[in-house]
Amino acid sequence: MLRQDINELLTQTGPGTPMGDLFRQYWIPALLAEELPENDSPPVRVKLLSERLIAFRDSDGRYGLIDEFCAHRGASLWFGRNEGSGLRCPYHGWKYDVTGQCVEVPSEADNSSFCENVKLRAYPLVKVGDILWTYMGDPAKRPDLPEYEFAHVPQEQTYTSKRWQQCNWLQAFEGGIDSSHVTFLHSGGLKSDPLFKGAKGNEYNMKDTKPFFEVADSEGGLFVGARRNAEEGTYYWRITPWVMPAFTMVPPRGDHPVHGHFWVPIDDENCWTYSFDYHPARPLTAAERQAMIDGHGVHSKNIPGTYRPVANMDNDYLIDREAQKRGETYSGVAGIAMQDASLQESMGPIVDRTKERLVPADSGIIKARQKLRKAAIALRDEGVTPPGVDTAHHRVRSAAVVLPQAESFLDSCRDAVKATPGVPHSSV
Amino acid sequence: MATLPMYASESARAASASESRYRITVPIAPARNARVIALDARSAAVARRISDGPWANARFYTCEATRGRRRADEVLLHGIDGVPAALDDMLRGTDVVVVIATDDSGGALAAAIGSACSARAITTAGVVLGDGFEADDAVAALRPHARVLLLSADESDAFELLRALRV
Repeated sequence: MLRQDINELLTQTGPGTPMGDLFRQYWIPALLAEELPENDSPPVRVKLLSERLIAFRDSDGRYGLIDEFCAHRGASLWFGRNEGSGLRCPYHGWKYDVTGQCVEVPSEADNSSFCENVKLRAYPLVKVGDILWTYMGDPAKRPDLPEYEFAHVPQEQTYTSKRWQQCNWLQAFEGGIDSSHVTFLHSGGLKSDPLFKGAKGNEYNMKDTKPFFEVADSEGGLFVGARRNAEEGTYYWRITPWVMPAFTMVPPRGDHPVHGHFWVPIDDENCWTYSFDYHPARPLTAAERQAMIDGHGVHSKNIPGTYRPVANMDNDYLIDREAQKRGETYSGVAGIAMQDASLQESMGPIVDRTKERLVPADSGIIKARQKLRKAAIALRDEGVTPPGVDTAHHRVRSAAVVLPQAESFLDSCRDAVKATPGVPHSSV
Repeated sequence: MATLPMYASESARAASASESRYRITVPIAPARNARVIALDARSAAVARRISDGPWANARFYTCEATRGRRRADEVLLHGIDGVPAALDDMLRGTDVVVVIATDDSGGALAAAIGSACSARAITTAGVVLGDGFEADDAVAALRPHARVLLLSADESDAFELLRALRV
């Protein structure tokens, strides 16, 4: 359980809130690069951390992320004309550049300096990998760009998707460090998903449904090790890294690409789940990439032209009770992503954590909440830079290994959990 | 025959904030009968500090450091108030034991306690405070038995774990 005041502290990310200020210390995904595919392409509404923004790519290829609403009368710049190195409000023709600076007010006299005094709130928008990242904090404290491995391997080795999740970011994120649900909720996927099936590790997963856990601090967040019995005298370990505030990786399976998520608050009742797959040492095969596009693995099949999953709360997630009876899916919902999302959304927009009954196996979640709370308060009260801002903290990996029973996963996997360019991930 | 209301999606309605108001609200009685055992001198100090918390059924114990293997019936505990207690008696009626360690001096005790808990189907959790290296033996001794090992530099994690478990 969590006290109500702490639940509110962790789930509220709007401007001026402690968690909102914490998120504003980091570069976070704002949108996929594919959403602004070319110069002067249509602007895109972006809501992040409870702020309404508009993203556009100007005639010179520069990205901008600015206040959605025109400074004049408050019309949405989503209707704007993206032309001539700026975004023009179609109502009265006011025009803004990618920094939010107003560069033209047609109703003013020629050579008027009026527009120099009009500037919309703007945030930097930078392409790293498949994602356009933004930093919404104090410009003077802007950290170096993110160095997560999935965003830095060659283009042919990585794939990123996103989906709208209709709940607070924290309950979505907590699923990312909760290894104990895999054996139940995703058991069907281990047998059939083209991006999961066939790995030796899956057998350990299915044979031992009561994993043991070890939770350890890392410089950027946590490592959560889930341990299951393997062959005589050995354990199968699945190691999940979390880098604050919202980056998690799923331990790999066999030579399948390795995957993970970035959980980004839209507002307090919605979040974006960015899902990535990459292989550190080889291009994705055509079959793997197609499987990702088709919504397998950690990805979702979205309604064309949107980032809303086809299976969503408005159609009961297309639940199939017969498939559940046949054992094809455990919950009746198809796909790893929507199996998670359906249950997390079912908790309500912001789950009341005062009513939880946690068990020791939830220690990773308990510890993560504690770290988030402490970091938010240390930032608020003392200005302490939180873990995960330093880009060295980004260079982590998940791992799946078999170790002798006496060995500590932390000691034995120091290299395995470091992102080393070109070196395959440690996987079983 | 009455017609039941039909909705396009029960999930969308059921997951709404307005529907959250209708969730049953009853006081949640503490379901855990927890015992917290400090394995060494520094962890005993931690246990004493957190024993003042708002616990319902949690009881706190220390045990004397010892070397070499110990059988469960050789483990002697003391309550925070100094009253001796045999491990066997202490475990009666318990459903979760949280062991706290800061160094290796309690490694042998950890093995005996973990083994005794396993034999009684008592969930065991270990909180190892410090940088982890000072308590390698304790971690190794606890590993076969503890459902969870929390390795942390933050003493307050022990308190937070107990609070989250509603002990």
